[in-house]
Amino acid sequence: MRPLQGIRIADFTVHNAGPFCTHLLSQLGAEVIKIESAMRLDAFRKPHPVYGREGPATFDQVASNKLSVRINLKKAEGVALAKRIVAASDVAAESFRPGVMDRLGLGYADLCAVREDIVMLSVSSSGQSGPDSHFAGYAPLFGAWGGLGELTGYADGPPVEIRHVMDHTVGMNAAVALMAALHRRRASGQGVHVDVAAREVAASLVGDLLLLAAAGGATARIGNAHPRMAPHGVYPAAGEDRWLALAVEDDAAWTALCGVMKRPDLASDPRFADGASRIRHRETLDSMVSHWSAGVEANAAAEQLQHAGVAAHASWTTPEIAADAHLRQRGAIVSVAEPDGTLRAAVGVPLRLSKGEDIGILRGTPRLGEHEDYVYGEILGMGRAERLALEAAEVIH
Amino acid sequence: MPGQEDQAPLAGIRIVAIAQGVASAYAARLLATMGARVLLVEPAGGSPLRREPPFLPGPSGEETEVSALFAYLAAGVDSAVIDLASSSGREALDQHLAEADIFFDDTPPGERAAVALDEAGIAARFPRLLHVSVLPFGAQGDKAGWKGADLIVQHAGGEGNLLPNGLAVEMFPGRAPLKIGGHFGEMQGGIAAALGALSALWARPEAGGQAVDISSQDAMLAVGAFAIQRLGDGSVEHRVERSFRYGGVIPCADGHLELLTLEQRQWDGLVRLLGSPDWATDPALASSIERGRRGPEINRHIREWASVRRVDDIVAEGQKLGVPLARYKSPAEILSGEQEAHRGLFQSIDMGGAGLLDVLVSPFHFGGAALSLRSGPPALAGMLEVTP
Repeated sequence: MRPLQGIRIADFTVHNAGPFCTHLLSQLGAEVIKIESAMRLDAFRKPHPVYGREGPATFDQVASNKLSVRINLKKAEGVALAKRIVAASDVAAESFRPGVMDRLGLGYADLCAVREDIVMLSVSSSGQSGPDSHFAGYAPLFGAWGGLGELTGYADGPPVEIRHVMDHTVGMNAAVALMAALHRRRASGQGVHVDVAAREVAASLVGDLLLLAAAGGATARIGNAHPRMAPHGVYPAAGEDRWLALAVEDDAAWTALCGVMKRPDLASDPRFADGASRIRHRETLDSMVSHWSAGVEANAAAEQLQHAGVAAHASWTTPEIAADAHLRQRGAIVSVAEPDGTLRAAVGVPLRLSKGEDIGILRGTPRLGEHEDYVYGEILGMGRAERLALEAAEVIH
Repeated sequence: MPGQEDQAPLAGIRIVAIAQGVASAYAARLLATMGARVLLVEPAGGSPLRREPPFLPGPSGEETEVSALFAYLAAGVDSAVIDLASSSGREALDQHLAEADIFFDDTPPGERAAVALDEAGIAARFPRLLHVSVLPFGAQGDKAGWKGADLIVQHAGGEGNLLPNGLAVEMFPGRAPLKIGGHFGEMQGGIAAALGALSALWARPEAGGQAVDISSQDAMLAVGAFAIQRLGDGSVEHRVERSFRYGGVIPCADGHLELLTLEQRQWDGLVRLLGSPDWATDPALASSIERGRRGPEINRHIREWASVRRVDDIVAEGQKLGVPLARYKSPAEILSGEQEAHRGLFQSIDMGGAGLLDVLVSPFHFGGAALSLRSGPPALAGMLEVTP
């Protein structure tokens, strides 16, 4: 069974972070009604030249599985229509700048008035409160504000912008918070407003280093290095732009690596006798490993290393991931059909359930307004005449 | 919600966790912060996470034995030392599991049966338990036994190969690809585990207990989903080509800022922020497609302009004009940030030998209030004695 079957979400979210949250929940069985308008299309129905993309995506990962209805929220009748959907939902999710939902007449108090136990999720860059709450932001800005960007990078280089993974981890965190709120509602009968701040999610992912700084310890960008393990890094492999990631966890893994490199002499070299010695001689080790790795095929070497007990993996490109048998077996990569029937790879929900074999993506991106018969007709019980009138008034638009 | 633990969202939920690594520990931590009671089951000598450097300096600057990572991950949880190699230890664990709703476990798959933690055995003994396996490559599939570390799952999940972008890859185009700092990949496994646990718990009234199989590789791949989407659109992303055409990491006189303008009005605001220079008011640049094409030229101008200005001045002025800009903040700046203080992001709490320290609580607010941690990390207790 799909565990969240029966939960309905009125989804006002846009861009990535909020939509990824509801996308995950939809794959687990929630019915997600994406509320959109021709007046204000979601970013992924539009071209985005800053990404070098001049046309809209044909399949949008974060919109898949959702139901689509059109509502023009600039009209009072549109807001009233949105409230009717909320009244029939368990959750209302949004990711506008703080204050926008209130101005639309769709703030938490407004929604409680139509559905007393509604759980409202707000995802924003800096949270619903505080002096920066009005700040506009996207994924790389969340990473910058939260310290994750500052703590990522080569030791002698600049900070690094964290891309879509930042948005999507915000979405996955929001899904956890939303599920917690639903459990609270089940136990208490009470809804709640859940406020997820993207920059705080970024900070939470380096909470250990923030704690170190709070104690007066020094933090720095350390590239691919590790404070305890050496060798630990991404090493050149045979071929153009091919790389092998490996991490030597302990003395046994070090001995195993020496075996795979056919350098048993190094295993007994006192310079590398224990973890602390290997950290002291990190640069020498990196150079030795690079010398060896440059002559081996990355995937074959990773397999050999794992067999010997060393944590290793090729630094995989996207085509390698899309074709991988392990990820396909797990449903982490699935095939979805385009409208013309061609199959393409998509990412599934990142968990397997022993009693939930049917979780995952069932449909691709909905066409704008594709599910209005079901949502307006079946859920809201709206007659044809009323729908036509709302269309004529550009409320359903 | 200080003093209102019973109103925390997950009040009443009981969790047992075995956590040798970050992912399992982070799953438990996320749920503990929202009110669940978590018991961390540790071997004699403690979880390996207790030995993970860096260690926190004490109040006088001396190094303590308190791992920053363990202190962060285990804040708010209880601990019991249980030797699973002994039958009395296994019985003690079973007593805890009998009262638990959720069990997070990262014991390597090949070692589970020997300590009675195999999926079938757990399902038979605890039919209402949500048994969440948290491993680098999952409990099922060809690579189920493979070892991982944060670096490994980031590169097996795809994002590792796609970083760095922008300024860093411009400066060092031939270098090895780069992982995200900290334990980003393992933490994605933890977040997915928390989601899996709460979803399965939701279904428990109908479905009963079940096994949840989490792979940090899967979770890392999920948050990197757009690369797969782009592949389907016919484009293979690469860290060099993936850089934003303009904007990105901008060096300033006293640090770095991030600039990203996706909407026309944001570009218009940027032009005003720059003082509407001739190059920026070129009518051709009114087209976003042309701006994309001339990105390197635009960035040369922006960087030259920013190089003699202070980050905070640019950000303050730019945000007023609706330009998305952010300072690359250091940990110290975050710890002393007004926004963070207002939000109650940090809580001062006793970190064992390292004294009273500010620790990040949670990125979530419920009902307009910050959450709170009930304690710092647990001290390592002696071996739990169980009378047979």
